[in-house]
Amino acid sequence: MIEVDEKKMPWSKDLTMASLLATLENVDFCSVVRLNGRLVSSPKFAETIIPDNSKIQLLPLVAGG
Amino acid sequence: MDKINLKEIKCISYERAEIKKGYTDKSLRINLDANEITISSIEERIKNKFIGGKGYDLWLMWNAVKASTKWNDPENTICISSGPLGGTPGYPGGGKSIVTSISPLTGAPIDSNVGGYFGPYKKFSGFDVIQVDGKAKKDTIIFIDGIENKIKILEANDLPTDSYELSDALTRHFDVDKPVNVSVVTAGPGAEHTNFGCLNFSWWDAGRKRVRYKQAGRGGIGTVFADKKVKAIVARFGAISMKSNNPADLDALKLVTKSHAKEIRELDPKQNRMSLVGTTHLVPIMNDHDCLPVHNFKFGSHPESRVIGEEVYEHIFDKGFDGCWKGCTVACSHGVKDFSPFTGPYSGKKVFVDGPEYETVAGCGSSLGIFDAHTIIEINFYCDAYGMDTISVGTSLAFVMECFENKLITLDHTGGMDLSFGNRFNALEIIHQMARGEGFGAIVGKGIRQMKQIFAKDFGADMAFMQDIGMESKGLEFSEYMTKESLAQQGGYGLALKGPQHDEAWLIFLDMVHNFMPSFEDKAEALHWFPMFRTWFGLCGLCKLPWNDIIPEDNKNTSEPAKVAKHLGWYADLFSAVTGRKSSPEDLISMSEAVYNFQRIFNLKMGFGTREHDTLPYRAVGPVTIEEYESRQERYDEQLKEKYGLDISNMDSKEKVAVLRQKREGQYELLKNAVYERRGWNNNGIPTVETVKRLGIDFPEVLEVLKKNGVA
Repeated sequence: MIEVDEKKMPWSKDLTMASLLATLENVDFCSVVRLNGRLVSSPKFAETIIPDNSKIQLLPLVAGG
Repeated sequence: MDKINLKEIKCISYERAEIKKGYTDKSLRINLDANEITISSIEERIKNKFIGGKGYDLWLMWNAVKASTKWNDPENTICISSGPLGGTPGYPGGGKSIVTSISPLTGAPIDSNVGGYFGPYKKFSGFDVIQVDGKAKKDTIIFIDGIENKIKILEANDLPTDSYELSDALTRHFDVDKPVNVSVVTAGPGAEHTNFGCLNFSWWDAGRKRVRYKQAGRGGIGTVFADKKVKAIVARFGAISMKSNNPADLDALKLVTKSHAKEIRELDPKQNRMSLVGTTHLVPIMNDHDCLPVHNFKFGSHPESRVIGEEVYEHIFDKGFDGCWKGCTVACSHGVKDFSPFTGPYSGKKVFVDGPEYETVAGCGSSLGIFDAHTIIEINFYCDAYGMDTISVGTSLAFVMECFENKLITLDHTGGMDLSFGNRFNALEIIHQMARGEGFGAIVGKGIRQMKQIFAKDFGADMAFMQDIGMESKGLEFSEYMTKESLAQQGGYGLALKGPQHDEAWLIFLDMVHNFMPSFEDKAEALHWFPMFRTWFGLCGLCKLPWNDIIPEDNKNTSEPAKVAKHLGWYADLFSAVTGRKSSPEDLISMSEAVYNFQRIFNLKMGFGTREHDTLPYRAVGPVTIEEYESRQERYDEQLKEKYGLDISNMDSKEKVAVLRQKREGQYELLKNAVYERRGWNNNGIPTVETVKRLGIDFPEVLEVLKKNGVA
């Protein structure tokens, strides 16, 4: 299992961040996530493998600086 | 410091104006030529139109300076204001000061939004805005004492020269028993010897029992301050509460303050964690999106950036409350305790460093090829202590380093210093030279626009290449975001009134990452509403971060998530609660639009503010060199083929660079057209008479400026 924004979700082997987000609704603003506390940005979603028992937070970034 | 030696030149007692609904309705003018202290009433019509904050500053400046006024003329004015909402304890980002002057870098009005307690202390002492003009003959301190109700002009002798020691010494001097009652504005030797001097605005950190400061960094207002021989402006005031602004509806104020503060307290730990890492979370994010300036904005990422981002600074920052305003829950003003510099006058001593923020990490780190957290902290410390803007310092040094690597300047010009990217010791030495006004550092301290002239005239450097790589627009050095792949952010920088600073519009995510604004009209619309909301914070004395850097969990379900409607509703409620002027989010835009257009026309008055001034160095638009092109060849090749429908099979990289440039520069001009039209400006970027009438800023002197520029 993994936790996405504190909700439990099933985990599968070779699950990537891109494939996880493809299963979620309304994630247009999600270009950055925290995967087990570490920032991962959208250009790296496809290559980022999610380990089992991971905690993921979706960051809705609009502005910065 | 043993004893402060101050000589009283002038002292007046005054009756402190009662605050009504966030306003004192009084301004304070200090004229240093005649040592005059004048308190004036602010007219109701000015209050209704200019709101406060930057609006008040600009109105006073407009009336103080002539079209011919230069930054170092006596009539140039430094204005510092709070705003009607400023000084609300517990409201996130609710204690900002807004500072303006005619900039040494741009020749036009510059504005800077800064934390610390000065703005609220000054307001509660009886003044919505203060105006300092003239020039003192000797080092001077202005003291606004809202406890004793006195204003003093003091001659200062033998004070510490740098901001770090000076703000501490003056804080303890002016209220030895309760230093929390004192906020000090100071510059430093770097402000005296460069064109990008900053101002440090202090507050007393009760937890650490020490002075902290934030910077009004952009545009060289510290340089104007030093030129006027002002060593410090000090405000002193006592306890502040939710009642201090005498709000129209105290219960409504308490409710909106509690709501916004609570949301940030709950969501910041789940989002950007600014209360832990400040804005350093942006380093890895920008790096991964290819937007972190590396080697003078040549590239947007670097593998070593991981050692200068939040993962490192989270462990370096001293733990404790770091709000630059009382009770702010964003609390992003972090610092480093017991830091020991390895160069300069503080070498080997232990100091507290306020920062670094993202802009300093990127500008004085990655853009210089310096991937060392310790060196970045040291640069941060000295820039603040010397009173120099870290953004302009970093961006100017990056330009110098690229010139050096391209042999446009040599060891003969730099005093024998190798200024290749990554040379951290020599970067620090240049900063010390800048502060002393000596050696090659004295040239760097003039800023990029003047350096280009000097390098071309005196060193025979290639001006066309320097125009392409010198990251300045309107004379102001760029802040630290790569814009090559975001046309909207190119507009965010190039069309910003004061020059390329991201506080007006930051559209990289909405445009480049989310692709929410595919057409020119979409981008122009965003370049209307985004700057207007951001302008409003500067009118009211607020910080921009709580609007859209912490996002409500249900924001994605709203009709316009980009605007963060829930927060705009809170801001309208806050304005209504304090001022009693019932407002909606749409009203925030119309308040800002009047001041925004007034500032554009102020630029026009000073000889700027037209299409030709909204230009960008090509480095901000696309790859200047073959090296840059080939570093992202797949991206650029695809754009030439897919976006522009070109057959590039027989083109070499040089030809591709040239054709891509033609296309991208054309796109930027089309963007300008769309933005001007949306803003109600003519094709030369000047507000039309219809626009100024619609906004109610059709004062005779405004229409006269328009007429002089062919708009009637």
